[in-house]
Amino acid sequence: MKKILVADDEMSIRLLYSEELKEEGYEVYLAANGREALEIVDAVPLDLVILDIKMPEMDGIEALRQIKEKRPELPVVLSTAYGEYKQDFATWASDEYLVKSSDLEDLKAVVKRHLKE
Amino acid sequence: MVSERAAFLTQMVEVLTSTVSFGERLNNMVHLLARHLKVDLALYFGLDKARETLALNISSAGPVPPHLRVEFPLGQGLVGETASTRKMKVVHRHQPGVLEDNAALEKLNPAYHTLAAFPVADDNYLYGVLILMDRGDRSFTPTERQSLQLACLMLAGALRQAIVQEEAKKRIAELSVLFEVGKALSSTVELEELLERIVSTTAKVITARGAALHIIDAASGEPLVSSRYGQIPPECPTLPKMEVRGPGEPPHFTGQTPDAQGRMHYCLAVPLTFKGQLQGTLAVYDKFMPDGEFASFDPENRQLLFTMAGVIVNAIENALTYQQVEDLAEKNLRMVKNLTALQEISQVMLTSVQEDRLLEILLQGLTLEQGLGFDRAVVFKVDEATQTLKGAKGARRPAKSNALPNAKALLLPPPDEIPVSDWEIPLRTDQGPLALAVLKKRSYHYSQTSKEVGIPEALQEKFVAHEFFAVPLIVKDRATGVIVVDNQASGRPLESEPLHALQMLATHAALVLENAHLYSTIEANNRELLLIRERMLESDRLAALSGLASGMAHEIRNPLVSIGGFARRIAKQVEASSPLRGYVEVIQEEVTRLEKLLREILDFTGENLSYYGDHDLTKLIEDTLVLVQRDLDANKIQVKKEYADLPRLHCDDRQMKQVFYNLFQNASQAMPHGGTLTIRTYRMEKPDGLYEAAAISDTGGGIPMEVLHNIFNPFFSTKDYGTGLGLAIAQRIVSRHYGQIEVNNEIGKGVTFIVTLPVAKYCLVKDVGQDAVPASALKAPKGGHR
Repeated sequence: MKKILVADDEMSIRLLYSEELKEEGYEVYLAANGREALEIVDAVPLDLVILDIKMPEMDGIEALRQIKEKRPELPVVLSTAYGEYKQDFATWASDEYLVKSSDLEDLKAVVKRHLKE
Repeated sequence: MVSERAAFLTQMVEVLTSTVSFGERLNNMVHLLARHLKVDLALYFGLDKARETLALNISSAGPVPPHLRVEFPLGQGLVGETASTRKMKVVHRHQPGVLEDNAALEKLNPAYHTLAAFPVADDNYLYGVLILMDRGDRSFTPTERQSLQLACLMLAGALRQAIVQEEAKKRIAELSVLFEVGKALSSTVELEELLERIVSTTAKVITARGAALHIIDAASGEPLVSSRYGQIPPECPTLPKMEVRGPGEPPHFTGQTPDAQGRMHYCLAVPLTFKGQLQGTLAVYDKFMPDGEFASFDPENRQLLFTMAGVIVNAIENALTYQQVEDLAEKNLRMVKNLTALQEISQVMLTSVQEDRLLEILLQGLTLEQGLGFDRAVVFKVDEATQTLKGAKGARRPAKSNALPNAKALLLPPPDEIPVSDWEIPLRTDQGPLALAVLKKRSYHYSQTSKEVGIPEALQEKFVAHEFFAVPLIVKDRATGVIVVDNQASGRPLESEPLHALQMLATHAALVLENAHLYSTIEANNRELLLIRERMLESDRLAALSGLASGMAHEIRNPLVSIGGFARRIAKQVEASSPLRGYVEVIQEEVTRLEKLLREILDFTGENLSYYGDHDLTKLIEDTLVLVQRDLDANKIQVKKEYADLPRLHCDDRQMKQVFYNLFQNASQAMPHGGTLTIRTYRMEKPDGLYEAAAISDTGGGIPMEVLHNIFNPFFSTKDYGTGLGLAIAQRIVSRHYGQIEVNNEIGKGVTFIVTLPVAKYCLVKDVGQDAVPASALKAPKGGHR
């Protein structure tokens, strides 16, 4: 079973994403900020990470940088309420950038593509 | 004997009073004497006073052939001696010296024995000598001698009468000649024609082969006018020097020069003495003789020439005065004409404050026949920044002048403009009168005869002028330009009178042009200020709105995602038949709508970065059309396309598509019951560069007048749906691209939105190896406030 980490400071978003992804048959780990996310990355052999950008303690951009240092091959998807940074995701070395939407079909399709299923 | 003598004297009187010509009478008398005295030969030698000789004129043997025309100088031979002594003398052949002294007479009568000579003279003059020759030894009786003396007296009387008659005749002839001359001279006052008449009449009257008249300025010696007639031998002097020949004689010139063939040529000249500065000569050349030979001029000719000179001087002086008066009148007329033209041009120039129009009026005024009438005129303006004179406008005189009254003609644009925009002259003193006129602030009259630079070399190919005026445009002691005019095309010389008019016009034109310049500067500044104010107001409003909107949008998006996401999850688990299903769907739809609104607000507030590249406007439009095709089809809207071939546009393609998407959406929504969407692209040349335009027209009946001014305001909408941000966003994007959106509203028909975008005008940052550059990196050039 593929292991996915969802990092978002909004509890409701974490809940929604985990429910949807579990339903798709993934094993889902949750983190409320970048620091927690890094701990999980260290502890679990993850297959994909979904990061929010604006988070307390450590934001998504910093978390992304550190994750890519540790495991460059691990796909990371940025999921954010901000549409305006979309063009910059490549420079941040993320693999995908999604603006949050109540319609999760896009997110699921992206996850599926990166897990090469 | 007495009766014989009486008969002879009676016959004598008859002969002398006969009506035949004088020569005939003289001839008859000589014959009568020979017959009466029964001598072999009677001869009459006439005295030539000038040459002081006595020549055989008449012989009782008949007409004297030229080879027998013997002559004796005064004092020589019996003939000469008698003329000197005025005493009768009879000699005989055998007397010593007689044969030798009178050898010439041998030819006439080789066998003579007696030779008798009688002076033909009265108390005052000797006219000639009568010679009688006879083979016999004759000594003439006292009676015979008395008769002879009487006859000689009568002969002298007759000769005297003849001379008086001849002189009277000559005098009459001279007077009639002078009358003719006077008549000829008074028939015209045109100087040139008068001079021609003078020389031709003079030559004819004197029977000269040629005649010439010269008038010179006495002070400078410069020739002023001259006129010639007939043949003037090149050997003779053209301007003979007058000299005093004898006491009491006025100065004149006589001369004779042989030509290459040895033929002699003669010249007679008299001075023409005018009042004032003028001096002249009247000369005649080669007197014509009846036999075709040339002869020298005699004192009578000279006298006649002197008399004529007096008449001629009067006539010329009259003509000169007349010409001066006429010149003055003409000059006054021209001056009045120029002043009238000036006044009209000045007045017409007051009708405009546009520099271009003013230049047109000025050029019309300079070149029109009713104006100053120059063949060509060019106005240069000083470019302070580059220190050059730059061609502003130029025109040639129209080939045919129009018949419009002046003021109207001046208002027309010059029909024959000269393209001068690329003419440039550095403002340096070595660049000729054009630059000098500005630098020295004075007018120049250039003529090629002066060796200085005329048109600077760089312009010589474009502007050929051998003579021109360069007049500076001066305002407040500052030269702002220069007017150049010439008459190159017609070759008319430039006179000083129009220069004065031109200078007056230049003064006025400079002032009017300066006013126009100031006016346009003020106008431009005003426009700029207004624009800046509008922009500041708008950006204030938008900045406030943007901050609020984007802050809210982010805060709202996360809960929305949760609400919408969970609503979807619920919807999956609710039976399709359950009423809950409907509720959940409402939640879903509303969330979707809110998310769309959020996107639009964020688009509007512009926090999305722009990425610029070179794009094809047509392709952008076509790509966008695909997105709205479904809506257009649903509303049964036809699309008409007229695309021009346009250069690529430097823009953010995503934002541009947004503009067209919004406009197409609006058009589609304006035609819910069908219609035509027309999309037209074209290029536009504006003063500041090339623009591309897209006109999007619908047939939706137009926008009501009362809301038209609101359509670009954020959140304004006439529709029950939508955010009201469509046009506001479109305008924002277009203005970020330094373009414009204009509305052409036809109530009852439809609306046309015209988007104009500058082509690559503001893209100063070069795209290096990247096809996208953030808009924040782009800087508008100075003054690019549009």
